[in-house]
Amino acid sequence: MKKSLFIPFIGLFILATCAFYYFNQAPSQKLETKQVPPVLFEAKDFYKNELIDTQNLGDFYIINFFASWCKPCLAEHPLLMELQSKGIKIIGVNFRDDEDNFIDWIEENGNPFEYIIRDDGSIAYEMGLIGVPETYFINNKIIQKKIQGPLFYEDIETYL
Amino acid sequence: MKILKLTSNFLLVIFLLSLFSIGYSNENKLNDYFKTIRCLVCEGQSINESDTEFAINLKEQIKIKTNSGMSIKEINQELVEIYGEQISFNPSKNHFLLWLMPLILVLVILMFIRNKLNFFYKK
Repeated sequence: MKKSLFIPFIGLFILATCAFYYFNQAPSQKLETKQVPPVLFEAKDFYKNELIDTQNLGDFYIINFFASWCKPCLAEHPLLMELQSKGIKIIGVNFRDDEDNFIDWIEENGNPFEYIIRDDGSIAYEMGLIGVPETYFINNKIIQKKIQGPLFYEDIETYL
Repeated sequence: MKILKLTSNFLLVIFLLSLFSIGYSNENKLNDYFKTIRCLVCEGQSINESDTEFAINLKEQIKIKTNSGMSIKEINQELVEIYGEQISFNPSKNHFLLWLMPLILVLVILMFIRNKLNFFYKK
């Protein structure tokens, strides 16, 4: 058997696999160039009733989508409180939630957020949200990492 | 006078019927479009069938966008930009490499078998 046939065959297989993964990847997952959609900065903070001050956020900050009806959000909440105590700024986006439930939830569990935006779903749409909780790490206005599901310490430790 | 009244009533009925039919066809068009959008939470279902928060929100946002004058084609482009090709059950045909890959693979396998057979016959 010709050995030379093996190389193009394996090469082709690798190329096919790479092509499949490349084309199947959502642009929102090709995060190195994706910026935070402006719609987030057009919404007002729920408590302060003012727009987000991007200067105050600094270079690195977190965007966290949560809801009072979401159980996994409760699981990651202590970690968000810890991150806030370490000086990390978090924008909380309250996704499709009842206002009273949301207020009760924050009062009960604490507020780790620098800003809280109430979202009817339009911000989630622009961000490419699949479900809550979902967390985005932003560095120099670019989305560096997206975590679907509850946040764990291992996800953030390199940024601390 | 009576004829005028009858004509105006007839025209009003026609106008209302046409409005109703436009609304009905738009609704149908939108529902057909929802059937082509994959729910990314339960991937076997379209957002038309799914009742996840993701599907409900996507349907609402698409409705808002169509009401604001965006065409389904524009919305589809935007969705693919945000979520990738996986959002659609009808992926675009511009990934020629992917479409050609099975054919190329079959050709390579056939070449491989032919060479292998030649090797045995020569023996």
